[in-house]
Formats: sequence, structure tokens, C-alpha cells
Amino acid sequence: MIDAEPTDEERYPTLTEHGAQMLQRLREHPCAPVFRNRSGNRLTREEVAAAKTFAAQVAEAPPAWRPGARPEWLEEFVTRCVAEVPFYRRRGLADFAALPTISRADLSEDIAAFVPDRLPIDRLINFRTSGTTGHPLLLASHPTVAANYLAFHQKALRRFGIELQAGRGQVGVVLVGFQRKCFTYVSVTPTMEEAGLAKLNLHPDDWRHPDDRGRYLEALGAEVLTGDPLSFAELLRLPVRLRPRALLSTSMTLLPSFRAQLEAHFDCPVLDIYSMNEAGPIAVATERGHALLQHRMYVEIVKPDGLTATPGERGEITLTGGFNPWLPLLRYRTGDYAALEWSGEEWLLTGFEGRPPVTFRSAAGELLNNIEVTHRLQRLPLAQWTLHQRRDGAIHLRWCGQAGLETELRRALETLFDAQTITLEEVASFDGKVIQYTCES
Amino acid sequence: MNTEGPALESLLHRLAETPDDFLAEPRIGGSGSVHVAAVIHDCLAQFGYAVSPQDLGFVQGTDPKNDRNRQGIALVAAWLLTDPWFRQHTVAGGAVLKALSISAFEMAPYVMARKFVEDPDRREEMARFALARLDMRPAGESIAQAQDRLTTVSTAERVRVFHAAQAAEERARAIREALARKAAEESADKYTRE
Repeated sequence: MIDAEPTDEERYPTLTEHGAQMLQRLREHPCAPVFRNRSGNRLTREEVAAAKTFAAQVAEAPPAWRPGARPEWLEEFVTRCVAEVPFYRRRGLADFAALPTISRADLSEDIAAFVPDRLPIDRLINFRTSGTTGHPLLLASHPTVAANYLAFHQKALRRFGIELQAGRGQVGVVLVGFQRKCFTYVSVTPTMEEAGLAKLNLHPDDWRHPDDRGRYLEALGAEVLTGDPLSFAELLRLPVRLRPRALLSTSMTLLPSFRAQLEAHFDCPVLDIYSMNEAGPIAVATERGHALLQHRMYVEIVKPDGLTATPGERGEITLTGGFNPWLPLLRYRTGDYAALEWSGEEWLLTGFEGRPPVTFRSAAGELLNNIEVTHRLQRLPLAQWTLHQRRDGAIHLRWCGQAGLETELRRALETLFDAQTITLEEVASFDGKVIQYTCES
Repeated sequence: MNTEGPALESLLHRLAETPDDFLAEPRIGGSGSVHVAAVIHDCLAQFGYAVSPQDLGFVQGTDPKNDRNRQGIALVAAWLLTDPWFRQHTVAGGAVLKALSISAFEMAPYVMARKFVEDPDRREEMARFALARLDMRPAGESIAQAQDRLTTVSTAERVRVFHAAQAAEERARAIREALARKAAEESADKYTRE
């Protein structure tokens, strides 16, 4: 079978003359980067309408469940999973709390077993993740799932008083990356009157001239910039004044001090979204904690003994449900940690840490959870860092972000770890996700 | 097999006492005495289910050699599934019809209808196979126990499991291929990337 390149008709099935002009503008601007790839929204007219309907539902939906209860849809969802999804069928039906949890390793072993029997597979797309935990993933998804991300971003933005407005002739979003190699392309968003979308790599290798980066971004005037702390740190270094209405940060820990720096620089809210390929946008950081976004996602906190934690108790964030019918999650352990608390009107993940807990030792022998390290460092404008403790207790911190932080970093770590040997290493970039905390046992 | 059904012993006992009417020769062409379609119709009426002519395709046929045993099995299965337990537990008539049809079609190549009454092992096979088609297992058994015992006693089930595994592997291969295609690799627009 010949695996032909998709055509532009397949990438943009509803493209109008206005959309075509937007694509041309994005591609052919004198300062445009080298776009290394092609992609599109792939949505049919009916799917565009459905995505708008979905966004309206998300905007109105109450929390998925209330304290002391479970979501009304949960039982039917579990039954359907067991009936239609090969992986879950093999495990059989049980009371919800007795269902075994699944992990990234299960998805990694055979993702095909998680695709329900009856769903069409002729238009599958894949989401790939790098796998900092040793399990790279290739996930099944669909253009409609990708389109529905926007509904949750809109819901998150609404909390900060922002209603997206970009439409015809305007650029809705620029996704900013900063890696040696990055998937880059341009598209239009049909649910927003074909507002432009560009996915860029700020790495100078992708540009004819490094200064083109700022000029191009200025020319686009995107309503929203999305990226991660690394790419935003690079944005800060560009000699331009961009005025997006919001920044959305995903993928990596965004420290409060760096977030404040970004907010001051761009004069707009910076949203820290807890999101993953397996489940899409799950929660958005607020002053009180990460507020859950999905009304068809049941979030449990599971303790190391496998039991569900009570509200306020810390454990692993575990997901059931979601909006990707091609990957229904049933008690999926995310590898991220938090407690879950009811605020009176919504559920919040508190004390969120995006990776398994690591226990360090101070010079005095005190055991320190990695969350304490995060607390110590969060007032410093770090874009990304890793901290490793050797068997002899020595601490090695690698970081990137604002220069000249050595003194403050050393002071923060010495206070926490007493008089351990501490070495600091500033790096230009980590080139993607990293395992943040490690310790030789 | 996700739901617990009646006790296996009660079904085995019912099969052992199958009335002669349900063991009589199906009427095919000019021979035989029992109108199987009419019997099925009456059985399902007990569930409040109105059978349509299209529903009864599995007990039609004019070739005694090919159709007799299937129709005979349908009769025995109909007797089994009209056990009061199923009506008392509000099993849907449509589900019973489907179980009858699958049981008749899939077991006919391997076992003569009368054996499902006279032979203890085949009685167990009929009871377990028909229950499984209702997504049920005998009371007191786990899903794993019930599945294991059914594949042990039933050739039809082993064939079914084999075909299901083949179909599942074919579907999984198709999914893996679909995910590896260039179109899938291009993915589709999202406002953020993880």
C-alpha cells in the first residue's frame, strides 16, 4: 500500500479564500521561518459545528462530581470500556474501586488494545510523547479530539477574564517551541473563522536571521502565545514588544516567580495548564490550586497502597474518562502527584508536583520531599532545572533561565540541605522535558 | 460474562428434563413434526418480545441435512432459556433471541442436538455457552473460572475464541498501521502541545 502524503484538501477540508490568504501570509512573510512540516485542522464542516457545540457544553458544564459522590456517567463509562475496549475487556468488570489501575507502561506496551472495537480508524492521528520516564508513547487520537482542546483552553482563559476573539484575517495562536528539532507548520482554525495558527521553533537554526524571530512574531500579533517555560524564556530574550492577550504554558513546571516575570513582561495573564497527551488539558493553576477543567474526567488521588485518598490527602493523580474516545482512560495513573480538595464550588489539585516524589537527605540526615525543593526555588525565575543528589549526599543543580542566580540558588539549597556539597551548572537549554529530581539510593 | 446468572446446577437439571416436544424432529420440507419458528415465537412471547419473521431466519431452511441439527439445538436452547429465572431477572427478549441464534449456529457443526440433553458434559456445554451469549456466568463463579471452564467443555467456544483472537489481532494490526501512516504522523491542530 502506498502511504501518500496528505493533500491540502485533507489538511483543511473547509478552507475558504480567506483561510488560504491567511496560510499564504503565514508562510510567505519575508521574516517567516523555515516551516519544516505540514499539518492542518482536518475538520469537516460537520466536525467544525460539533466542536463549537462541544465548546458550549464545556463552558456550561458543572463539576463532574460532588463531594461524597462519583460522576453520574461513571458506571456506564466503565461498562462500555469493559465491553468495547480489548485491554479492559481482558481484565473484566468489577466494582470501580476494585478495578486495577493502569500506567504509562500499559499504554506503551500496545496502544491498539485501548482503541474501542467500534470506532473508525481511517482518520486516526497520533500524539507522540518523548517519555522522560522510560516509556515513550504513541497515542491514538483524531482531528476532532485535537480540535476540542480549544474548548478547555477557552474555559481556562475565561477564569482570567479572557474571551478569545481572533477571527478572520487575524492570528489566533502561535505555538512557540525552543528545541534543536521541532515540528513546525502553519494552519487555520475553522471554529474561529479561520484565524491563523503557527507552530514555530525559536531555535535560530529555523530562521534565515535570528532577528527575524521577533519581526515575524510582531507581524503576526497573535492573540495567544502557547509554549513552555523554556520557549518563553527565549521569548523574553527577543528584542521585541509582543502584546498577546494571554500566554498558555504547558509541559513543564512553571515557577511562580518566572510566571510573574512573564506577566510583567507581556502585560497579560500567564496560564499554567496541567496537560498531557494521554488526557488533554486537565487543570489550570489558580491561586488556590489547579482547578479541574474537564466535566467528563473523574480524578482520583491514589495512595501508594492502591487505595483512593480522601480529600486533602496526597497521592498520585489518577484519571478516568476524558474526551478522546480513541483512548478511554480507566484509572490511569499519571505519574504526577497532588491532593484533591473541594473548594465549595469546584475541585482543586493542591500541592501539584508533575512527577513521582523523590526523597532527598540533608546533611543532618533529615529526609526531604522534592516538593520542598520546589518550594525553595519557586521564587527564583528559573525556566527549567534538574536536581540530583549523589550517594555521598552531594547536590548537583542544573538550570536555565535568567543569568546571575548562582548566589540565590546556593543560598536556597544550602538552607534546605544544610552543609551538603552543592555544585551549580547553568545550561543554555535542556532541549525538551527532563526528569527533574533524581537521587542515588 | 460480566453478570452473574442462575446456578449451573439448576440449568443442568432443566436440560436433563427437557420435554419430548423440544426433542422432536424439526419440520423441514415435508418431514418432521415441530414448527421450530412457532416454538421460538411462543418462548419469546414469555419475555414480552414480539418476534418478526426476519428474526427467525436462523430456524428457517429447506435442507434437512444442513438445517435439522441447527433447528434442533434452537429448540433445546429455547427450553433452557425459558427457565423462570431469566424472566424473573428481566432478561430482555431481544438478548434471548440473539443467544438462541448464536447458540444454534455455532454449536450445530460440532454436537447433535439430542446430546445436549442426554450427555452430562454436553449439558454443561449448552448451559455455559448459552449463558455466555447473554453476557452471564454461572452464579458463584468468577469471570475467569467461567471462561476457563467454558473453553474446556465447548468446541464451539474454542472456535469462537480463536476467531475472536484473529479478529482482534487483525484490528490491532490495522490500528498500528493507521497510526504509522504519514497522515497520522502529521497529527492535527491543537492550541498547545504537551
